[in-house]
Amino acid sequence: MVRYLARRIFYLLVTLFLIASVTFFLMKLMPGTPLNNQAKLTPSQIKVIYAQYGLNKPVWQQYLSYLVNAVHGNFGTSFQFNNQPVSYLIGSRIGPSAIIGGQGMLLGIVLGIITGSLSAIRKNTWVDATANIISILGMSIPSFVLAIVLQYYLGLKLQAFPVAGWGGFASTVLPSIALAANPFAVTSRFVRTEMVDVMGSDYIELARAKGLSENGVVYHHALRNSLIPLVTVIGPLAVAIMTGSMVVENIFSIPGIGEQFVKSILVNDYPTIMGVTMLFSGLLCLVLLITDIVYGLIDPRIRLAGKEG
Amino acid sequence: MKFKTVGKLGAVALASAFILAACGNKGADSDKSVSFQENSELATLDPSKVTDVVGMTQLGNTEEGLYRIGKDNKIENALATSTKVSDNNKQYTFTIRKGTKWSNGDTVTAKDFVYSWQRTVNPKTASQYAYIFSGIKNADKIAAGKANYKTLGVKAEGNDKLVVSLDRPIPYFKLLMGMPQFFPQSEKAVEKYGSKYGTSASTTVYNGPFKLEGWTGSNLSWKLVKNNTYWDKSAVKMDKINYQVVKDSGTAVNMYNSKKLDRVYINGDQVKNYKNSKDYLKYLMASTFYLEFNEKKDKYFQNEKIREALSLAVDRSQYTNKVLGDGSVPATGLTSAGLAKDPKTGKDFAKEVDVPSASEYDLSKAKKLMAEGLKEEGLKTLNFQLLSDDTTNGKATTEFLQAAWEKIPNVKVSLSNIPFKNRLANSASGKFDVVVSAWGADFSDPISFLQLFTSDNSLNNGKWKNAEYDKLINAANTTDAGKPEARWNDMKKAEQILLKDEGIAPLYQQAYSFLQRDNIKGIVYNSAGLNFNFKDMYVK
Repeated sequence: MVRYLARRIFYLLVTLFLIASVTFFLMKLMPGTPLNNQAKLTPSQIKVIYAQYGLNKPVWQQYLSYLVNAVHGNFGTSFQFNNQPVSYLIGSRIGPSAIIGGQGMLLGIVLGIITGSLSAIRKNTWVDATANIISILGMSIPSFVLAIVLQYYLGLKLQAFPVAGWGGFASTVLPSIALAANPFAVTSRFVRTEMVDVMGSDYIELARAKGLSENGVVYHHALRNSLIPLVTVIGPLAVAIMTGSMVVENIFSIPGIGEQFVKSILVNDYPTIMGVTMLFSGLLCLVLLITDIVYGLIDPRIRLAGKEG
Repeated sequence: MKFKTVGKLGAVALASAFILAACGNKGADSDKSVSFQENSELATLDPSKVTDVVGMTQLGNTEEGLYRIGKDNKIENALATSTKVSDNNKQYTFTIRKGTKWSNGDTVTAKDFVYSWQRTVNPKTASQYAYIFSGIKNADKIAAGKANYKTLGVKAEGNDKLVVSLDRPIPYFKLLMGMPQFFPQSEKAVEKYGSKYGTSASTTVYNGPFKLEGWTGSNLSWKLVKNNTYWDKSAVKMDKINYQVVKDSGTAVNMYNSKKLDRVYINGDQVKNYKNSKDYLKYLMASTFYLEFNEKKDKYFQNEKIREALSLAVDRSQYTNKVLGDGSVPATGLTSAGLAKDPKTGKDFAKEVDVPSASEYDLSKAKKLMAEGLKEEGLKTLNFQLLSDDTTNGKATTEFLQAAWEKIPNVKVSLSNIPFKNRLANSASGKFDVVVSAWGADFSDPISFLQLFTSDNSLNNGKWKNAEYDKLINAANTTDAGKPEARWNDMKKAEQILLKDEGIAPLYQQAYSFLQRDNIKGIVYNSAGLNFNFKDMYVK
């Protein structure tokens, strides 16, 4: 287990290093400068300001100093927000993102499990068909479209929730629902398939033959066993939540990290782009690692495979 | 069944969320407070560092300089109580108002101006607006690294005399004094907060009509609160202006309609819907979009007939009304309408220039001129690429122009829509045939536009050249700088030359379109410099 973990962490660091390098050079290929007032500055004025930002040095020097600083967790100060350390920008904005992301994920998965298992139990009935349609919708409607629809009907027309803005639980509801759609659809499809599979297996027949009530069979045997593989989709779901949050935060004016990320790319705020990219990729790698470990703990076959491979 | 229980629980949770949320809805705010939208974050409150409209607006209402620019660019004394100008227009002596306070209790003195200006021109500060000091003694030398920033032509005599020396007369000098870049800064505060200065509401000191509260440096909401230590506080009628950053304009309109915001920016599609609403409000910006023809790269663009033909083929009113539809209006020249008034007659500069051929639509004449032009150049067809931004407006523009130009026989246009900053880079390095450029004036004087097209200006992307034009602009900046009427005529003639010669082809003038509650009054708008002044604002 320790060796397996050590190797996984090593790969994780290599991945992060590659992401950091690729992002750095891709970013340097982006057109333009981080100067807001670029249109009005002459080339010589731009040069003077570049010298102060250290952007006049050769790219490899910038790359090296960036790497050294990044290892120390220092991503420098933002160009867009004068003198604001990137770590501060991220720190003050990660909370709202975590709240709506977490709530969205939880809501999506819980509802997904309920719907998925209901449609498995009631396979080929109207319940199943309805659940099927809802999850296809959830899968195919982009979160930003859902966000706009929710905002218009629940926010503006019914006045049930704030249209946008940040403050209090009520303001988190609509964005969380918008983010929940995809995890909900994925979970529900996944659980249904798994459960239909499990329901047809021998040990369920045995349980039934032993005279267990149908509820007991479903809850104690079928559901539990179908949920184990669900762990594997949590990683990809987290990715969907993070990418979805960039648009959803923008629509609901939530001071989150995704919203920050989009803006920093638009204005060539190099330090912030790097900081947020590393944060996102770090989080994702971590989620994937934890998923694998947890899965290994639940299902010993996976852990063995890890050791041998 | 278990699932039913879970389902019920979910329903109850959702229902209670609805009810709780409904309880949270407030009614409209009291009379002396309103809520405004911004469409971008506040990036800094440091006058040496500010670059955008959001920051300028907040600074202009929380800080104050020598003058406050009132309606129609009227110069109103603020921290200056009197001004003496030397006979050669190269020295200004300001008497500073006594006893005005910073929000930390310190007195605002002439030294605060000296400190602030020196700080901005210091290359170490990397201010993106340092260039606006050009003309003040030694500013250009400091920018070029040939003089110490402390040699800038500004000094304090005692606490209440500020003396500014200029390299050359600056006819618009008083207008500049209303810009945040020329506001005072408290040395004590800048030193105390160090790199944190201006990065949050609490690490800034204020001397203007309002103070900022609730801005953490990265969040999306804050408020302007009446400053009780402001010298003219009795003139300030608003207690509070709440700000909320909303980047999505659909969201902004929804918040306006649900009464959460009282003033929001709207885009083209929304203008179409709200054009006839009593809440619709339009301000023309000091920002002109125009075509530049690359005369250096493509020799055929040196032919005036070809340039004129391309300009004549564009139906600008159809373009602004039907294609853009965001409140923009056809531009009749380079200098934006509503920017500056004739010192003698009070007539608008853009109206006085009046060169109809620069913006009229005459397709048959365009066809004729193009045929002649092509013949003169020995060309059978004209093939060129049109460069613009990849924004919605940028794409609509290029498609419209392509269709308009290809109505002229033998003209073939290909399109290139690239990101804004990429477009700037390509324009600057001459990698284009025809480009849609834009310029926003820094201050309310036609020279802010006109100096772009002197033959040596690095921002003159098309490299159009005219000796007479250069001469007139030079005269406006030097020999005629102290004679308002002669200077006005120089600038007028210069723009007439630029337009008659089709050095550029004006396209449209941009507008801010707002939805704003119709009981909000007294906001002073100027199209250049500080856009919005809330000092005299009130709610009826």
